[in-house]
Amino acid sequence: MIYHYIYIAVLIILALMLFPCLLRAIKGPRIADRLVSVNMMGTMVMVMIAILALLLDEGYLVDVCLVYAMISFLAVVVLTKVYIGIYEEKRQATDDQKSTEEGGMSDGNF
Amino acid sequence: MGIFDWIRLILGCSFIICGLVIFFTEIFGVFHFQYVLNRMHATAMGDTLGIASCMLGLVIFSGFNMTSVKLLLIVVFLWFASPVSSHVLARLEVATNENLESHCKVYTDLETLEKEPADTTAVSASETAQQPGTGGKEL
Repeated sequence: MIYHYIYIAVLIILALMLFPCLLRAIKGPRIADRLVSVNMMGTMVMVMIAILALLLDEGYLVDVCLVYAMISFLAVVVLTKVYIGIYEEKRQATDDQKSTEEGGMSDGNF
Repeated sequence: MGIFDWIRLILGCSFIICGLVIFFTEIFGVFHFQYVLNRMHATAMGDTLGIASCMLGLVIFSGFNMTSVKLLLIVVFLWFASPVSSHVLARLEVATNENLESHCKVYTDLETLEKEPADTTAVSASETAQQPGTGGKEL
């Protein structure tokens, strides 16, 4: 019975700790800030799921936790690749625009 | 409750409280530091030590069964995955930040980095001594 209260208390503390992480994810000035804080939230949610597995005495929730860890890792890697790709495309577009502008100016001059 | 139950309770509780303190330190570090590459230090600590401590406490509560093995498996997986994700995030930051030199010192090739510490340790020490207020946060 005392374990029950301990699990509930730890769950409440972790749930309260999730709000500052969410605040950092909203405030974060750069995109890497947001990804870092989402990664942090994922870690805390993993602990919460593991505690729930012991609290409810359901062994399969630990498997859910393992799959959650893998998916959160995959999400970070994929989002990073996507944002690097977006940045490269944007830079390519601005470079093309600059080169066309220079070309037009040279055409006008000569 | 016997004496072993009390030992198990106190040991598991101390591990879980240690993990919660580390998570709190992680949040404090994320709000204390000013730049992403500094914040990554704090989050990496929570990803490895914090979750390992919490899971160890839960393993002590759970006892010898399949659930404990799976909990330890999660910790082992995170010990491999967390450095990789930190590295990938740092690459994202370095690749997309256009004024990176204002936040940290950038070495474009490895040879200057290897040569640097031999002859500039005294210089950098005197530099940090000259600017004690800004030295810690700018790096």
